[in-house]
Amino acid sequence: MRSNAEMSNLSRRDLFKLITTALLAISGALGLGALFRFLDYQTDPPLKTAFDIGPAEDYPAGSRSLIAEVPALLIHDQNGFSALSLVCTHLGCTIAQNGTGFACPCHGSRYDADGNVLRGPAQKPLRHLRVEVGSDQHVILHTD
Amino acid sequence: MKRLIALGSALLLLAIVAAWWANSRQPKPIVLIPTLTGKPEYCLTCHSDLPEISKSHPIKTFGCVICHGGEALALNADLAHSTMRGGANPSDLSVVQESCGGSSCHSGTAEQNNNHIQRVLTSVQATYAGAITNILYTYGAEGDLTARFGIRAVADAQVTTSTGVPALQAFDPAGASNPAIQKFAVNCLFCHLNAQPLPGPQFDRLSGCAACHTPGIGSLPPGQIHKLTTAIPYTQCNTCHNRGNYDLRAMAFVPRSDQPQAADRVQNYYQPIAQFTKCEYELDCIDCHTRTEAMGDGDIHSNETQIQYIQCRTCHGTPTQLPSTKMLTDPNDIAFRQAQLNPVVDLELGQTVIVTDKGEPMWNTRVLPDGTYQLVGKATGQVFTFRPVMGSGCTQNGIDQSSAYCHTCHAVQR
Repeated sequence: MRSNAEMSNLSRRDLFKLITTALLAISGALGLGALFRFLDYQTDPPLKTAFDIGPAEDYPAGSRSLIAEVPALLIHDQNGFSALSLVCTHLGCTIAQNGTGFACPCHGSRYDADGNVLRGPAQKPLRHLRVEVGSDQHVILHTD
Repeated sequence: MKRLIALGSALLLLAIVAAWWANSRQPKPIVLIPTLTGKPEYCLTCHSDLPEISKSHPIKTFGCVICHGGEALALNADLAHSTMRGGANPSDLSVVQESCGGSSCHSGTAEQNNNHIQRVLTSVQATYAGAITNILYTYGAEGDLTARFGIRAVADAQVTTSTGVPALQAFDPAGASNPAIQKFAVNCLFCHLNAQPLPGPQFDRLSGCAACHTPGIGSLPPGQIHKLTTAIPYTQCNTCHNRGNYDLRAMAFVPRSDQPQAADRVQNYYQPIAQFTKCEYELDCIDCHTRTEAMGDGDIHSNETQIQYIQCRTCHGTPTQLPSTKMLTDPNDIAFRQAQLNPVVDLELGQTVIVTDKGEPMWNTRVLPDGTYQLVGKATGQVFTFRPVMGSGCTQNGIDQSSAYCHTCHAVQR
């Protein structure tokens, strides 16, 4: 039979062991958590280049619709869908409609309704974007 | 051994907890991907309260880093700011090429009217060549008044005017034996666009582009706001001009004694000794003085008189000649871009405006059908109408047109 002193020594040893094990276990758990978090790190998604702008029926023939999200002007005429980028070719500001054409609020470039430069500092016409109507009849604008 | 393991595990846990805690204190980043760079930056995490600097530099297009530099993805302020260009003033001329340059921005060509940086770097406002030359000449260190030194060395590969000089060396007062020249170097080299600003946050933005284009508003000292504008009020010009005199005996600057600024514009505009006409204090400096006068023409000149050409007759003509005008027929005329940047007038093709001797349109003017003229204040939007000298009772010789002649009859009393 163990004496009281032996019991006490044993308990302290067990307690010590228990604390050490607990510390290591918590450290390990937190470390593993951090490791999983590191391995699971998601970088910022690449810039979106395809925009689903809804059903084609929302853009009837003859319409010219401003799509602010892109930004672009979706044109639906007798030739079908086409789209003009509303990003100024000078420095990339978002242009606004101005009469029948477009004007850049940053440095004053002007474009006609087809995107041709009327006034600098922009030198290049507005980009024509690729338009696709998906199998679900949704219109997709591609900016790449 | 067991104790060491226990201690090690405790320290490990402490370190992990500290790392989690530090990580949890990081703000959630606000990501901005400017159109111009396409690269994410986190500056708005802390700076979302800053106003847009100008409508020509929208943050969605430019972001912050392209102008200011800095660590785009840092969430620690010290780290984020550690590589900023020019500190509080990225337009300081020591870093302006990196901050504001680029062929589509402000270091383009004269033909495209966007060679601003090259013009400013060679302008008398940046070189201080006039004062340096005058001092050197006065104290016998130079034999004539042709500029050879500027605050910093600068060269002009293409001299286009008769008064242009090809290069300036950096002014080094160490080589000067005359104590007056040395004192001039100590006391008088702070106030130009290419100078090292005086210490203190109130001087941070009084160099480079910001010295003119970042005016203070209200009670804020000049340059302490996030703003760039071409609507520059006279008060910003007075930050450097009209604020005092050089005492050539003491070789020191003596500020005006009638400051702080008087409420009355007529008292405030010029120094008490100055003579001026009504339009010279009702208008702002930039209503008459052109960007070429202020920012230079690309040549290095020996003093300011070689680059100043606006006179009373520019707008008023002479007894025998109306002011020069032109009809705006080219949609790419610089007048439209200037009016777009500071839309105080609705400029249209077919409109007739006054032009300077160099042919620059004074885009804020127009010829009215009754033969009078209109000028709209670029900083105030105030509309002024005025008549030509021709047809008036003025008998002034058309050749003698410096302001002193006009002041003889038209100076206001204060």
